[in-house]
Amino acid sequence: MSAHALPAAPPLRGPALLRGVRETLLLTGRSLRAIPRVPERLVDVTIQPIIFIVLFLYVLGSAVKVPGTSYVDYLLPGVLAQQLAFSIMGTGTATATDLKDGVVDRFRSLPIGRWSVLSAQVLSQALEAMLGLAVVGVLGLVLGWRPDLSVADALELGALVFLALIAVTWVGVLLGILARSADAVQGIVFCVVFPLTFLAGTFVPISGMADVPRVIGEYNPVSTLVATMRDLTGGVHETGAWPLAHPELALVLWCAAALAICVPLAVRRFRRMSVM
Amino acid sequence: MNELPPAVEADGLTKRYGGFTAVDALDLRVERGTVVALLGPNGAGKTTTVRMLATLVAPTEGSARVLGHDVVAEGDAVRRELALTGQFAALDKHLTARENLVLIAALRGHGRAAARRIADELLERFDAGEFASRQVGSLSGGQRRRVDLAASLVAQPGLLVLDEPTTGLDPRSRQAVWSAVRDLVAQGVTVLLTTQYLEEADELADRIVLIDRGREVAAGTPGELKARVGDQRVDVIAPDAAALDALTGALERRFSLEVAHESRTISIPAPDAARDLTDVAAAVRDLGVPVDEVALRRPTLDDAFLALTGHAAHETSPDDIAQEVAA
Repeated sequence: MSAHALPAAPPLRGPALLRGVRETLLLTGRSLRAIPRVPERLVDVTIQPIIFIVLFLYVLGSAVKVPGTSYVDYLLPGVLAQQLAFSIMGTGTATATDLKDGVVDRFRSLPIGRWSVLSAQVLSQALEAMLGLAVVGVLGLVLGWRPDLSVADALELGALVFLALIAVTWVGVLLGILARSADAVQGIVFCVVFPLTFLAGTFVPISGMADVPRVIGEYNPVSTLVATMRDLTGGVHETGAWPLAHPELALVLWCAAALAICVPLAVRRFRRMSVM
Repeated sequence: MNELPPAVEADGLTKRYGGFTAVDALDLRVERGTVVALLGPNGAGKTTTVRMLATLVAPTEGSARVLGHDVVAEGDAVRRELALTGQFAALDKHLTARENLVLIAALRGHGRAAARRIADELLERFDAGEFASRQVGSLSGGQRRRVDLAASLVAQPGLLVLDEPTTGLDPRSRQAVWSAVRDLVAQGVTVLLTTQYLEEADELADRIVLIDRGREVAAGTPGELKARVGDQRVDVIAPDAAALDALTGALERRFSLEVAHESRTISIPAPDAARDLTDVAAAVRDLGVPVDEVALRRPTLDDAFLALTGHAAHETSPDDIAQEVAA
């Protein structure tokens, strides 16, 4: 080993916010670089929606008649919305696992903004989930999904999907911090999110349901997401309850509420977190 | 140098998890340019102490300053000056060794080109060139620890904290880590290290603080502690009383020795371990008296605890702690 002098730390440059953005991008880059090296992660998030598409399109869907549209056009936005909601699971488990990993300790002991670690986690998870949605969307197109999208619709859809992903990811990050174990996150998501994604007009219309599930379905945030997807892709979506009649606005409000609650809680827990 | 604040100055530092006290009113001082070892068994509070100093855990009571900066009020300043190499390699296992170092250098504020150059210099310095392009997850424990240590040095730290730097390493990797640490110390880096090995503390530290159940139980230079614990020795164990007498009679002419009749053991101080061992072994062979065992004994952490505190060390496993915390 040669004895070079150690490099001195460079002075901090620029305002804290800009440094935080740079740190977030660096840390996001580190997460994204892992995707091609751990391709099974992408398979994990796409396999379930693919099974659901095949199952519903060819098995259960034969018995479902949705007026005014083909079942494949009805199904795909629903499955994509379900997949998006399910990314809570991926984010939660990734956060719970990452926080146990020594590397987060390393980041937290560096002179970087502590929120950079969390915002990078959110950004990289959202981008990874977006990639998963694209894979499933392309498969849908292959199987006959014909979304009716103008350029403006596509941009709006992309922006809303990204916003929803960011919100869902923050929920997942908070869950991952609170649950502290990947198994616990899976249990919670399976018990809470899984039923909600079915009570959302995902696979069959809500309007035909009994009163209790119908009301839950009307005001369920996943329904709003499904309705937004259907509305912008030119599919048939249900109306009636206010969130279903104005799905885009309702979705933005849901996301704002989720962010307003989860971001401060997650940041606070993360700051105080004392992993043994 | 004297007007500068010490590298570490902790007063009554305490961390409680629920009803469990991990660190109990610990006072600790590390002067600049020195190496201090926190020596203690599992669960003694070593890791919790360094995590408080590294601003990863907030103290429940008491205070600590790192190079003059308060760990609670001036966390950012502490993080700029302190580098922590944790007990478990703090690297991204999906990235290569080089990518890890480049990332950390960039996070420390270096530009892209500077970060790459620093990473390459560190890889060379730690003889890590051959595995620089492999994902960290595929490296051996010793290789990972070297990269981890390198990661702590992307910027000259005012205080380098090494949490059990050689736990779980084979002897060769341990030597490599020790020589890396000595090299840093020679350059004037201040080091606080934790260890379960008396030998490691003795090899590296200027001052050893023995802790147990979150409290200091003894402190001093390795020489002072060893004088209290007893130095290494060669034990000759005889198969029966007759052999013991024969051995004692012959050996006491050449060596100063202590005889324990119950265990039929003759103990001979061995300051020069290898030579003393071979001398004793040769003398025993020349006598032609049968022996059960001729062995070099180094004082262990247990011996130190017994000698310095009068009781054995309290081993607490991390699981126990987790249970106590949960309770």
